[in-house]
Amino acid sequence: MHDAVYRAPPIDGLLIAPLDEFTAVYHRASGITHLLTEPAPQILAVLGEGGLSLDALLDRLAEDYELSDGTREALAARLDELVEAGLVEAA
Amino acid sequence: MRIGPIGFRIGSDWRSPIAQLETLYRDYPKPTDSIPDFTVRLFARRPWRRLIRPSVEIGGDYMLPEAAPLPLRQGLLAAEMAMNLQMALGARRYLLLHASAVERDGRALLMTGISGAGKSTLATLLAAKGWRFMGDEFALLDPATGLVHAFPRLISLKNEAIATAEAAWPDARMGPLMPATPKGDIRHMVPDAGAIAAMDVPARPVLLVFPRYGFEAETRPVSPAEAFVRMTQASTNYVALGEAGFHALTGLIAEVPSVAIDYPDGASAIEQVEALWAAL
Amino acid sequence: MIPEHREDGVPTRRRVLALGAVTAGAVVSIRPALAQTAGSVLNCEIPVPDPGRAGSYIDANGRVVPARTKGAFPSSPRPFKGEEVKRSMATGRSLPGTDSERSRAYVNYIRRLQRGQGGFTCFASLQMPRA
Repeated sequence: MHDAVYRAPPIDGLLIAPLDEFTAVYHRASGITHLLTEPAPQILAVLGEGGLSLDALLDRLAEDYELSDGTREALAARLDELVEAGLVEAA
Repeated sequence: MRIGPIGFRIGSDWRSPIAQLETLYRDYPKPTDSIPDFTVRLFARRPWRRLIRPSVEIGGDYMLPEAAPLPLRQGLLAAEMAMNLQMALGARRYLLLHASAVERDGRALLMTGISGAGKSTLATLLAAKGWRFMGDEFALLDPATGLVHAFPRLISLKNEAIATAEAAWPDARMGPLMPATPKGDIRHMVPDAGAIAAMDVPARPVLLVFPRYGFEAETRPVSPAEAFVRMTQASTNYVALGEAGFHALTGLIAEVPSVAIDYPDGASAIEQVEALWAAL
Repeated sequence: MIPEHREDGVPTRRRVLALGAVTAGAVVSIRPALAQTAGSVLNCEIPVPDPGRAGSYIDANGRVVPARTKGAFPSSPRPFKGEEVKRSMATGRSLPGTDSERSRAYVNYIRRLQRGQGGFTCFASLQMPRA
């Protein structure tokens, strides 16, 4: 399960409007609006269309950011949420 | 008739609601072209119900089959509900905000909240203090420009608000008192001539207020995310408008501060609003 | 990882990103009910069950079952108003004209309503705060 590849919509598949610590995101394919808070927007930005496995994503995030509480389980939980919302595809 | 940019054509199985509408809306312009935006129908479910215990069903281009009928003496309320329904389900050109609106110097104040929060009453009271009345229940947000357009229909006053509004506008034309409707006692008030004359003049929104009636006076900022979510719930066609709706609403929230006002009475609310306005 | 350096050689700290606890949430989907504002301007009704199945019975769990099924209740002779359903759900008192068991069956039926079934938009509008 953890060698699944996670994909985000293409660049123009989302409209993104930061509000405060929440970011409003409009998913064009579904017409649904979501409210995201850290680290969800950052995960979407990094995943892109190419897709990454859970471990590769964790590594990328660790490169770009200082992960204050970065457990693999926490990241998996965030990805599950995004998958359930329809924003991320797991293949 | 035409209310702001929206033209309605109203058909009815009975003369009386039409007569009441004609009287109360007599100073409003006719639609600019002959094609109304919405058709509203007030009809009897069965032919004999036109005469025996007449009960009014509402419908039009958009139908919601679960709507319960109203007695004919509340026909004016039925007409209002029917127009609301058509707007709520059919409006595409504007993002419909469930909010009252008043204007000063080309800038609009929007007030939104649950039934009873006071948005209609406050708009009426502010209008009595010189603000231009734009609407008591719906404000139309143009996704292309971000401007708010007026929808100054007959002001729907409920229960205690009836007396409050009559006190502020002693010379206003009023519709019949309809006691004990499903929404309480209701009486309609015709907006002032200035409001009707200016109904085609949009305004730029600059302040969004969430009023709450019956609490000690307090003013607090509302975070952008909270205001955004509350406005998605307060808009009937946010989902239907898709991307345009998203742009319009996020644009509004990004440009306009949101404030919650708790108030014990109308006078206090007006004071709080004026203070916020001055501080903009 | 190599820390970033400014031109004068002083290392800068990267931005902190919190992944959150496993049980925390970072995604909320906005689901405005279609009728929540239309519902507030309507005096709406919920038939039990929808008119297409008027001859059927409702079992204790709110499921629609064939007529005269043992332990199930006949359809309601009249639809219920949104206000009546709301009050019954809030106070626990029976729907008008029903005893507590039948009321419970009816309320369970109403809770199970799906989009497209008669009464759904009325029920959905009861769930949202009235705007």
